[in-house]
Amino acid sequence: MDLAVITFSKLIEDAILTAVPAVGFAMLFNVPRGALMHCALGGALGHVLRLCLHQGAGMPIEWATLAAASVVSGVGVYWARAWRAHPKVFTVAAMIPMVPGVYAFTALLALIEIDRHGFTIDLMRTAVDNGLKALFIVTALAVGLAMPGLLYYRRRPVV
Amino acid sequence: MAAATLTEAEQLEVTRVCAQTSLLLLQHGAESALVESVSRRLGLALGVDAVEIALMANGITLATLCGDRSRTAVRRNQDRGINMHVVTEVQRTLLLAEAGRLDLAGVSRQLGAIKPVRYNRWLVSFMIGLSCACFARLALVSRGIQDDYGTPLLTFVASAVAMHLRQWLATFQFNPLINFAAAAFVATSIAAQGVLHRWVANPKFAMSACVLLFVPGFPLINAVSDMVKGFINTGISRGFIALLLLLASCAGILLAMTIWNTWTWL
Repeated sequence: MDLAVITFSKLIEDAILTAVPAVGFAMLFNVPRGALMHCALGGALGHVLRLCLHQGAGMPIEWATLAAASVVSGVGVYWARAWRAHPKVFTVAAMIPMVPGVYAFTALLALIEIDRHGFTIDLMRTAVDNGLKALFIVTALAVGLAMPGLLYYRRRPVV
Repeated sequence: MAAATLTEAEQLEVTRVCAQTSLLLLQHGAESALVESVSRRLGLALGVDAVEIALMANGITLATLCGDRSRTAVRRNQDRGINMHVVTEVQRTLLLAEAGRLDLAGVSRQLGAIKPVRYNRWLVSFMIGLSCACFARLALVSRGIQDDYGTPLLTFVASAVAMHLRQWLATFQFNPLINFAAAAFVATSIAAQGVLHRWVANPKFAMSACVLLFVPGFPLINAVSDMVKGFINTGISRGFIALLLLLASCAGILLAMTIWNTWTWL
């Protein structure tokens, strides 16, 4: 993969374009008003970090997602303490911009196409490639979010 | 056997309160590890010796132990939709009880007063529209297309309308699968007009971005979290619900693409 040069303006644009969906979906999940700011910051931080690691440093997208989700989750623990709520209340909404929606839909639609038109190797390749990407990215998101609990808090509660 | 510290009536009330707590959390989209730990901590804070809890997708079994007495409660779980406000309020009730600032009656009163408040429907539709427009813009920018603002606008209209429809249908108590399929059909139909009438430069991106509001991100992440933390049962059922919702949305997308004959996805 070619390593892209990431300019500062590109980072700012990426941060804004992901902070808005984080807040939008946080409202869909009825995150309390006071925590919406955390969702926005977490969403922007996570996606910008993933952009840098994936496109800037050439890390595979799954590992970049895992690292970004872990960092957001770590920051989320601090916010959770200050705000007296479980970190998942706002970290899950912050993950939404990184959720592999297009991959998941493409994989499922390719499977449906196989059903409609019969098996072709191209359709199968589309389905498997996209489906695996979606599966591993979601796993990376969830494991990344669980990272503070798995490594540091273990059996103790965060809040 | 250790002497019970609570009377039988008190223990029954603690059991009821703990069951209510875990039910509230499970109904409003908390992950299983949180449901278990909050109910257990609440029971201990209210004076029972132990709380044992078994979670299933559509029910909970919870027992409190006090001396040599055990009281069990079973509750049916119906999904009420993700509501982090409820989860926060339950957690804060627990923290107050642990700090000794709420007694049993206080906890019971506070839990009973929790209302699943929601944001204004129009505001949510607007914000979700905006979110999907951002996703469309993000997809365009990542492919080096900088000066296309029509595609995000089309995405905004399609997904805001679809989100509003989804919320409106939800008020009629339809099965969420039907809501998702119908709303995905409408979203794709609106975006497909952009393809048919060449309203915007890159309608393909609007077609894919306008249905991103149907990706059940929360259940998907919860499913994996549950399984990582050992709650394989609830994890699998949440994962399947998410998969079914995705498939229902696919049905809507497919129907719309067939009717308008715009095959942009593959």
